[in-house]
Parts: sequence; C-alpha cells; structure tokens
Amino acid sequence: MNENKIVELATDKPLRLDCGKNLGPIQTAYTTYGALNVDKNNAILVCHALTGDQYVASSHPITKKDGWWSQVVGPDKPIDTNKFFVICPNVIGGCMGSTGPKEINPKTNKEFGTDFPVITIADMVRAQKLLVEHLGIKKLFCVTGGSMGGMLVLEWLSKFPEMVHSAIPIATATNHSTQNIALNELARQAIMADPNWQSGLYYQTDKTPLKGLSVARMAAHISYLSKDALQNRFGRNLQDKNELEYSFDADFEIESYLRHQGYSFVDRFDANSYLYITRAMDYFDITASHNGSLIDAFKNTDSKVLCVSFTSDWLYPTSENKKIVKVFNALGLNVSFIEIETENGHDSFLLDVPKFFDALKGFLNSTLNDL
Amino acid sequence: MSLISEKKDFKIISDLIPKESSVIDVGCNDGSLLQYLKEKNNINGRGMEIDQNKVQLCLSKGISVIEGDADVDLFDYPDNLFDFSILTYALQATKSPKTVLSQLVRISKKSIISFPNFGHWKIGTSLLLNRKMPVSNKLSYSWHETPNLHFCTINDFIDLCEEIDINIEIKANLKNYKLSKYTGKNFFDSYFSEAGLFLISKR
Repeated sequence: MNENKIVELATDKPLRLDCGKNLGPIQTAYTTYGALNVDKNNAILVCHALTGDQYVASSHPITKKDGWWSQVVGPDKPIDTNKFFVICPNVIGGCMGSTGPKEINPKTNKEFGTDFPVITIADMVRAQKLLVEHLGIKKLFCVTGGSMGGMLVLEWLSKFPEMVHSAIPIATATNHSTQNIALNELARQAIMADPNWQSGLYYQTDKTPLKGLSVARMAAHISYLSKDALQNRFGRNLQDKNELEYSFDADFEIESYLRHQGYSFVDRFDANSYLYITRAMDYFDITASHNGSLIDAFKNTDSKVLCVSFTSDWLYPTSENKKIVKVFNALGLNVSFIEIETENGHDSFLLDVPKFFDALKGFLNSTLNDL
Repeated sequence: MSLISEKKDFKIISDLIPKESSVIDVGCNDGSLLQYLKEKNNINGRGMEIDQNKVQLCLSKGISVIEGDADVDLFDYPDNLFDFSILTYALQATKSPKTVLSQLVRISKKSIISFPNFGHWKIGTSLLLNRKMPVSNKLSYSWHETPNLHFCTINDFIDLCEEIDINIEIKANLKNYKLSKYTGKNFFDSYFSEAGLFLISKR
C-alpha cells in the first residue's frame, strides 16, 4: 500500500520547462497513503522540502528511519489517512527515483549529470500535475508542504488554482531572499570545490563529492535551527572529553553534531540534485511571470488557505509568510494565519509541535466538513 | 471581557448586518460571534485575534482567522474590502484607538463598535466616593491587571469620531436592546449606559 511506485509521465508530449528545453518522458517516484474516495475529492498532495523525498510517512529505504512527516501523516494523525488519500511525489531533479541528474538520460544511456536542464519550482509543479491527472484526480482537497514544499504549494495556487480546493503553505516565502540565495550559493560552492565533483560527471567514477556535499549540509543545518535552539541544546559542551585538546578534532558537541549531520546526509542524497534543487529555490519568485505583482500571481485563486509560520524561523521568517497572508487578504480569499511559538527555528515544521498539529487538524477537518 | 449579555449583544449586532454581508470581526475571540452571524445571516466572515489559543478554536470551527494585532495588521487590508467590520469591547485595549477606528472605517463600508462607558454614573461614584478604580461586569479587571489602555466615555467616543471624520449612524440602547438613529450627544446615554454600541462609517 505505502510502497514506492514509479510512473512514467509526459509520454505523449515532453514537459516544456521554464528554461526553454523539453524534458520527457519523465519518471515520478511517489508514495500514497489511505484510500481515494469514489468522488475522488479527498486527495491531499504533500510537497517535500529541499532534502525531503516521497517517504513522507514510511520507512526510508536507505536510512531505515521513519518518514520525514510520519508524526503528521497517518491514521488519526493531523493529516488523517482514515479520511484522506495522501500523495507524496519526489520532485523532478530529486534523487529518489524521479527524473533527475543521477537518472539515466534515455538519449545517451548515461546519467544526466550536469546535462540535466536547470529546472524551476514551476517545472516541478508541472510534473506533479501530470501525476495528479494520472491518478484520475481533477481537484485536490488540499496541497501542503513546508519550506520548498510551501513554494510548490504557492505555485500550485498560482498556476493551477482550479485544481486546488484548499492549501496550507508552511514556513515559506513568495521568493528567495538575498540571504537565502547566499546560503545556497555557499552550499553549491562547497560541492563544486570538492575535486571529486568532477564537473558533475562523477557517477561513472569511483569518487563522489561526499565531503563537499557534507559541508553543504552542515551549513544548511545551521540555518535550520535558531540561535537559542543551538545554545540550549549544545552550549559550549565538549564532546566525550573533559578538556580542550588544542587540535582541530571535534572538541565541541556542536561540531560533532554537524559532522554527523553531514556524513549521514551523503548516504541518501546526490550532490548534483542538491545543486539543481537549490537553484530552483533561488530562482523562485512567484511574481516573476506576473510583472512583479503578487496580486496578479494569485488573481485566479479562490482556495481556502491556512498559512503557518514559526517565531524562531529566521530562514523563512513570519514577515515573509505574512506577505502571502496580505495578498490573500487583499484578494478577499478565505485565508487564515497562525504563528506558532517555538524556539526550534525553521526545522519546527518537521518536529513534534502540538499547537502546529492542532492547527493543521482544525483546518483540515473543518474544511472537510464544509465540502 | 465578560459581557452582561453576550447573546443579546450578538442579536443586536446581527440586526445591523444584512444577510450575505462580508464581515471582519477584529478581536474575534473564539469566533462565536462570527459563527452566530454565519448561522443567522449567512455572512461571509473573517476573524482577527491576537490570542493563539483562540485562533486555534476558530480554526477548528472552520472560521477563517488571522493571528494578528488590530494596532498593526489592519493596515494590510485594502479599502472597503468588507461590508462590515466589528470591534466589540476591544477599543479600550488598543494602543491607538484613533488609528484602529480610522482603519476599521477604511477597510469596511460600515463598522460596529462597542466599548465600556467610563462615564457611567457608577464609575463616577466609585471614583468620587470610594477613591477606587471601578470594577463591574463590563470593567471586570482590577486596575493592576487590566489589559485596557484607553478608557473613554460615550461622549469622548463621539468627540473622537467627529475629529477623524467618522459619521455615527445608529446607536444601540444596551438596556432595552433597541436600535435608534443617532441624533447627537445625550445626557441619559452618557450617564446611564454601561456600554456604548454604535454603527459608524467614514464621512
């Protein structure tokens, strides 16, 4: 039931990408949970973040860990799979089975590598739309996701509003701030500075840019947590030792923690995918094809929306999320907004935060009752 | 803030709002007024509430609600977005009643405002005879724990509306729950009403 499925899409006609190139046919790897009802109006599309994947609520095949939102998606959970049919696809450009840089290019029979076209958030949504149509669904009950997942939600609302009954963009923004782009550039340069990267053509060699990707992940991880969260969790505690060693080993707990985050990440993520997906996030500006107008970007939307932000999130702060609320208000949409108090930073949307769960549950159940 | 009769206040507010109107309730609490108006007048309602626990309650009732602060977040709405805005027993708790009133009449065609009347004779008596800050049903907090920042009398409210070009159209008598056309300051209202409830609009 919850196993990974792979479907070939865009078989008749390739996907026309924002960069002007065509891509297709494409593979999309996805998981589903719960059952689609007869009216096909109980489907919730869950969009993953930069380093997420389709294993939203099932054990990850590589790490063997629980799904990244297993506390949110499942029977009697906030996204209740007794009521809803949940679909979670791996985005194109990803590395868990959907068409991306590490998959085989049918034209060359070799991995795409950096021949893979530069994709955008809108391209990812175009591919997701093909999957939703393939599953016979005309209108999604809800589209939700945090961080990059939230960008995908906004793109759905802007591009295919007629297919979205309700939406929950979480801890996200209408475009990537300068600071966001700067942090992603740092990550990309770390990958590309690793000699094992070999201009992205490392798949046929016995070397992969693990160190570069690991450093990229370490830097990103700092941005996912708040200063207070780091301070309270690690302080200046030393790692398995009583005094400083006067060396460059991991003396501090935080160093050891970040190294662990880096090392364990490379087992499940592809360095080129990291380049492509961060690029898509940097390019994201929902107003770009609307002359810079947020109002224009959402003028055809009539979905019911809940926006969620977290107080300690400095990567996608409340102020960015409120821009979304403001434009939906201006359009007279049914928009709700809640700012959840938490010290855990951007990562809060992936953690066990009961007030956040209550908000999701309250919104989804009352929206279902009004259907 | 506890009310003498919440249900009767709800009723009189619903009498002022035609069916199918779009309404924003600022400081909407747990959403019960919006729910009442939805059931009774089939309004298209929105809420704004500063207290997160109450925002949660609204969400679970299916009410669209913004966690926000009247002093700050009303600026985000375009002119005349709503048919009605409502502010019940919250004007005295805002940082700038003047700004909030101006914003309310900007974002909606008409506004319904209610507030405790600091000119009520019992309040005057409490100050005059006991030298104590008044505590009553409509003023239920002790002076040291009150969230209220800007108390006013009905006459003060009328003066402020005059100053910022707000037209008072209808007043409610919260003793017999009758509505009447506003015709100017009135000794009995200012002295004997524990609270004022007015329908206002920009001039």
